[in-house]
Amino acid sequence: MTMTLDFAILPRFADALALGLWTTLKLTALCIILGVGLGFLIGLARSSRSALIRAIAGTFVEFFRGTPVLIQLFWIFFCLPLILGVELSNFVSATIALTLYMGAISSETFRSSLKAVGAEQMDACIALGLPRRAQILNVILPQAVLRAIPTLLSNCISLFKESALVSAVGMADLMFIGQNISNNTARPVEVLTAVALIYFTIAFPLTRAVTLIEKRMLRKLAA
Amino acid sequence: MTAPIASAPLLCIRDLHKSYGEHIKVLQGLNIEMKPGERVVVIGPSGGGKSTLLRVVMGLEQIQAGSVSLGGKPYIDARGRKTVIDTELRRKIGMVFQHYTLFPHLSIMENLVLAPRKVNAESRASATERGRKILDRFGLAAKADAYPSQLSGGQKQRVAIARALMLDPQLMLFDEVTSALDPELVAEVEAVILQLAEQGMPMMMVTHDMWFARNVASRVIFCAGGVVVEDGPPEQVLGHPREERTREFINRVFHIKT
Repeated sequence: MTMTLDFAILPRFADALALGLWTTLKLTALCIILGVGLGFLIGLARSSRSALIRAIAGTFVEFFRGTPVLIQLFWIFFCLPLILGVELSNFVSATIALTLYMGAISSETFRSSLKAVGAEQMDACIALGLPRRAQILNVILPQAVLRAIPTLLSNCISLFKESALVSAVGMADLMFIGQNISNNTARPVEVLTAVALIYFTIAFPLTRAVTLIEKRMLRKLAA
Repeated sequence: MTAPIASAPLLCIRDLHKSYGEHIKVLQGLNIEMKPGERVVVIGPSGGGKSTLLRVVMGLEQIQAGSVSLGGKPYIDARGRKTVIDTELRRKIGMVFQHYTLFPHLSIMENLVLAPRKVNAESRASATERGRKILDRFGLAAKADAYPSQLSGGQKQRVAIARALMLDPQLMLFDEVTSALDPELVAEVEAVILQLAEQGMPMMMVTHDMWFARNVASRVIFCAGGVVVEDGPPEQVLGHPREERTREFINRVFHIKT
C-alpha cells in the first residue's frame, strides 16, 4: 500500500486548531500563575523551622514528582469527585492537576535558588546589621527569584507540553482537536505532524530564550 | 571628655574558645585588648584562627567560652551553650570580607543606602547624599548606578568598604580583603584602607601581605594554634620577633634564604 500525503487539507481546519491552541495557552497560563505561587510557598515550607511542615511539603513534592501526570489527572478527574461528592468539570480537574504538578516542580526550583544565594550574603547582612525582615525581603528573596527565573521558564515549557495530556479527560485543547481531526479525516500523518509543529513553534523559541536569559542572569549574579 | 576614657580599651576580647565539633579547636583562650585609634594587623599560619577571630568579633560565629566588649560594654558572651549577642552594639562594627559580598541584584548606590535606610531609618535622599560623598572620596563616583558585576575586583572591594562606612562604624574589620584580587588591583584597595588609617579609624585586619601590614599597622599580633603568640609594634613582630614560632613564620613568608 502506498501512501499519498495531502497537506492541502490542513487549511480547512485552521480555525479549529487555533481554537484548540487558544484553550491550551489559556490553561497553561492559568496553571503557571497558580502553580508558581503554590511552588513558591512550598519552596519556603521546605526550609521551614518546623519539621512537620518540612515533612508535609517534602512528601507532597516527592509524590507529584514520582508519579505520572496522567495518573494524577485521572485520579483528580475520576476519584476526587467520589471522595468530595462533587462533580468536577474537565477544565477544573485539568487545572487542579496541572497546578499541583507545576507547584511541585517549581517548588524545587525555588528551593535550590534559595540555597544558592549562599552563606556569604547572609554574613554581609549580619555585618551590616540589617534587620531580619530586610535580610529576607531586600537581599535573599530578590536574588532567589532572579536565580529561579531561567529554570521556571523551563518548567513553563514543560507544562505547556504536558498540558496535551488533558485531552485524555476530554478537554478540547490543541491535542484533543488534532486527534479528532486526524480520526475523522483518516489523515494522521498530516494532521499530527501539523499539531507537533505548532507545539514546537511555540516551545522552541522559548527554550532558546531560556538559554540566553540564564547566561545573562548568571553573569549578573556571579558578583 | 575625661582622661580615663581615652585609655579605656575600645575592644576587649577575653578568653575566646571556639571549636568545630570535638576535635577541631580553632580558638583556645585568646585574649586581645585594643585601645582607641589602634590599627591591629593579625598575622599567622592558615588554620591558626585569624579569620575565625574576626568572624567572632563581628558576631558571625558561635563560641564555646569567652566574651567580647566594645567600649567597655560586653556584646558577645558565651553563656552555657548559647552565644548571646547584643545586636545594637554589634552594629557599631563594620566588616569587609575576602569575596566582596556585595548584593549583586542592587546597584552600587543601592548597596550603600540599604543598611542606613533599614537600620537607622535614614531618608533615601540623605543616605544617597552621603553615599555620593564616600564614592567620590574613593574615586568611584561614576559607578553609582553600575551593578557589582560590571566592576573590577578592586572596585568591588572599595565599594564594600564604602558600604561598611555608611554606618559610621567605631571599628572596622578587614578579613583578607586583598587575597582574592589580581595583583595589579591590590594597591587601589590598600590605598583606601591607608586613607582610613590616616583619618584615625580603628581597625583590625587579617592579611597575608606583610609589606602592607608594616605600612598600616600600629600593632601586630601573631596568632597560632588559637592563641596570641606574640603581640607588639610592627618593627618588633615583623622585624625582630622575640618568639621562636613568630621568627619561623616571618622567615617563611619573607622567603629569607641565604
